[in-house]
Amino acid sequence: MTPDNAPLLEANQLRVVFGQDAQATAVLDNFNLSINPGEIAGLVGEPGSGKSTAAFALLGLVRNGAHFEAGRVHYQGRDLLNLPAAELRQIRGNRIAIIAQNTRSSLHPLLDVGTQIGNVYRAHTETGKKQAERRAIELLASVGINDPQRRLTAFPHELSTGMAQRVVIAMALAADPELLVADEPTSGLDVTIQAQLLDNLWDSARASGSAVLLITQDLGIIANYCDRVFVMHEGTVVEQQAVNPFFSAPQHPYSQRILALQRREAVEDEAAAHPDRIAPPPSQALLDVRELRKTFPIKHSQAVVQAVDRVSFDVRRGESFGLVGESGSGKTTVGRTVLRLETPTEGEMSFDGLALHSLPEAELRRLRRRLQIVFQDPMDSMDPRWTVRQVIGEPLRLCDELSESARDQRVIELLEAVGLASSILSEYPKEMSAGQQQRIAIARAMVTHPDFVVLDEPTSALTPETTMDILVLLQRLQQEYSVSYLFISHDLTTVRFLCHRVAVMYLGQIVEMGTKTQVFDAPKHPYARALLAAHLYPDVSNRRVDRERTETLRGEVPSPVDLPNGCYLYGRCPNQKQRCRNEVQQWSVLDDGRGVRCWRVVEGEI
Amino acid sequence: MIRYVAMRLGIAVLQLMALAVVVFFLIRLMPADPVARLVGLNASADAYAQSERALGLDKSVGEQFIAFLGFGEGRGLLQGDLGRSWVTGEPVAAELMRSLPITVEVVSLALFVSLLIAIPVGLIGAARPNGLVDRGAFMWGLFAGAQPDYWWGLLFILIFAFTLGIAPAPLGRMDPLIIPPDPITGLVLIDSLVQGRLDIFVSALHYLALPVLTMVFTVSGAIVKMIRQNTARALNSDYVLYARACGLSERATARYALRAALTPTVTLIGIFFGILLSAAVTVERVFSLNGVGQYSVRAILDFDYPAIQGAVLAVAMVALLVYLLMDIAHAALDPRIRE
Ligand SMILES: Nc1ncnc2c1ncn2[C@@H]1O[C@H](COP(=O)(O)OP(=O)(O)OP(=O)(O)O)[C@@H](O)[C@H]1O
Ligand code: SF4
Ligand SMILES: [Mg+2]
Repeated sequence: MTPDNAPLLEANQLRVVFGQDAQATAVLDNFNLSINPGEIAGLVGEPGSGKSTAAFALLGLVRNGAHFEAGRVHYQGRDLLNLPAAELRQIRGNRIAIIAQNTRSSLHPLLDVGTQIGNVYRAHTETGKKQAERRAIELLASVGINDPQRRLTAFPHELSTGMAQRVVIAMALAADPELLVADEPTSGLDVTIQAQLLDNLWDSARASGSAVLLITQDLGIIANYCDRVFVMHEGTVVEQQAVNPFFSAPQHPYSQRILALQRREAVEDEAAAHPDRIAPPPSQALLDVRELRKTFPIKHSQAVVQAVDRVSFDVRRGESFGLVGESGSGKTTVGRTVLRLETPTEGEMSFDGLALHSLPEAELRRLRRRLQIVFQDPMDSMDPRWTVRQVIGEPLRLCDELSESARDQRVIELLEAVGLASSILSEYPKEMSAGQQQRIAIARAMVTHPDFVVLDEPTSALTPETTMDILVLLQRLQQEYSVSYLFISHDLTTVRFLCHRVAVMYLGQIVEMGTKTQVFDAPKHPYARALLAAHLYPDVSNRRVDRERTETLRGEVPSPVDLPNGCYLYGRCPNQKQRCRNEVQQWSVLDDGRGVRCWRVVEGEI
Repeated sequence: MIRYVAMRLGIAVLQLMALAVVVFFLIRLMPADPVARLVGLNASADAYAQSERALGLDKSVGEQFIAFLGFGEGRGLLQGDLGRSWVTGEPVAAELMRSLPITVEVVSLALFVSLLIAIPVGLIGAARPNGLVDRGAFMWGLFAGAQPDYWWGLLFILIFAFTLGIAPAPLGRMDPLIIPPDPITGLVLIDSLVQGRLDIFVSALHYLALPVLTMVFTVSGAIVKMIRQNTARALNSDYVLYARACGLSERATARYALRAALTPTVTLIGIFFGILLSAAVTVERVFSLNGVGQYSVRAILDFDYPAIQGAVLAVAMVALLVYLLMDIAHAALDPRIRE
């Protein structure tokens, strides 16, 4: 092997063990991995498979309580497990840097951001405080933080998750490493921010020729950004391949299984092939929302949080209406307000001809059985001391006319409808799996035979397999009970699967609304386009890094307390013009029936 | 920050006021006859009535309360007057000015020495879990907690004063033959230094050694345990691991851990100051220190209402002040507290 194609970093038969003697468990076992100079490699694996342990192990580090039991880690011929501490320090954070997974807890809670970045920079260079500060500003700016000078004095608890992630990335880049280990650098971030950060990482790695090991659970990230992939399962690498062959022909059964989750797309395609099955029965609106506005007061202040702003839409009988948008966009508030769990600040809502926005409490109570909700975390809304029978039967107290036995009948009917055995009636939901709990929550929502159910991120806490099962179940229930759904999700795949029409929300407003095909296949509004483009499909034929990225947004989402004057996207929009700055964007319906909130789309400029 | 301090001070004043009210009525609920206690059971009805008038106990509780607060003719709480002791006839405030500093001195010194020992022991225990120091500290905590503080006090007197003869007999806070320094702060250790009286300073330290030792002995086990916990948490934290992963030097990493481990200690100081204040009651008794603990015991046994009220308020004020100072220090050290 010539030095030219020698790997940069190589781990051989690594074994890391937590605990001592009898309690000892191996987290990494026979772990082999090598990274070549300048390549972008991906490491994929499920939660708990040892990815983060591996990330630190590549720097010769383990958490307290763990130790290396066997194996070697070689970096350019030096054995990191047997290197003097001083030499190791010159490698860590300098030649090999890491972006830790728990970014916020990886930052010292009592020290400001500038000090922490500066400390890393100064550990590897002969510089003073002033220079380190200048470097910190430069780094913060390079990872897309606005006003980096001011951010220097911020403490970690004052940062948003995205910002904390950027700060850690800045720390990792401080000394221009040759290898960057990025441990789920974008988990928990919204897709548009994720795309910004990963684009950034990819661009700067390619520009400086440094190598990256990108750790993730998301095959979409692997497909779009990596050259090569390592698949990790239970502490060991079970497959390594270049991305193209990997996605077309995965070798290991585990790889095949995780890739099979792409079937979600396949099912979708099938659904698309049978438009009659998926098309909503043509009918009048069941729920009609006009110019809904909801603000929340801020304590000790005159200002308000504008959570929902001039939102209008309707949901027809038997239809699934999807609400997508990133965190804080107001989806949940819309869902809660149309159920009158929150009182609307302004606007009108009619449900089956009734003026829902001004309905008195007593009448609202009578209406409750027709309006139900399913939450993201089912246990939030269940008394942990209750049995399955009590949980599902609870809404039936709204149905006075049903006899005791009829109620029991209903509970069993629904339990079977959601695919659970009636033998679990006396068990406790808190002891069940997340998927079963969500089924129970769905059974409870459907037990009164409602006309309208709000599904607020019902699958966000579930694994991909369970998500699919729940979606199929929801679709079946919709046909059986001819119920309408307001389906709220930030996960575009689930919305695409279940919904007939879709609205995209940004900062409390609907920016685009249309049929699923209109919005997903040819979005018009710049935000909708960015959101859809940022969604990373596990598909190597159209990689994000290979195409020209025109839809990308800039900067951070503004605070809903301090909104821009004109278009809310102004400042982040790739298509913005001077006119957008101060012109409030009105809702306009285009010829093809879709609605948008952008004058440039209306005038056909984009 | 200034607003925070002002708010906290305001709350402290309200707390003191509430406490004053509660104490005032609580002691009057006691099935006690302070007049009989003072004039003796064989006193004539005349003498009894006269004494009752002198103490103001002939008036209704409401009127007494108004007088106590200072809304009546005489001076009261509002004017900063705690009244006169029914037993000694001296102003309670003046008596407290003599007794309170003694307690504050013993307690502060005990806390200081405890931290001096507990911080290194706790740090080493966390750095080497199950090492010699860690196990030793654990055993010590169990051992010291097994007996009440006065028991240890008596044992120490037996060993150090009578058997070994290296500590003075428990006869107060300095050699009875020394004339105390002029009170400036009331704290002998400080006053003697200010006046350049090294001999008094040494003697006072000598006499305080055993009471302080007793308190340190019983309380530092618990402090060690808490510091050890905080340190272990810091050492196991993601930010220390990440600092290592960034190649920060051992010294810098240790500083990260120390900073996080010791910041919560300031709240510990407040808590343990309170604990030691209550321990002072028995320790003062064992060592014949005329601190506020002894003073309160005396006042209660004598049904000396003004003295009881004064002592309770004085102790509460000291405790609240210490809590406040520690909270301010904590806020200065921890940005998360500041909001
Ligand atoms: N009870 C409340 N009091 C004050 N502000 C609120 C309240 N509920 C929501 N908000 C604010 O309203 C905005 C919209 O929140 P909402 O939870 O509806 O968004 P979302 O799109 O569902 O977010 P996520 O996907 O993170 O759940 C946010 O800025 C949020 O902080
Ligand atoms: S109005 Fe202007 S800023 Fe807003 S989305 Fe359209 S082009 Fe972008
Ligand atoms: Mg939400």
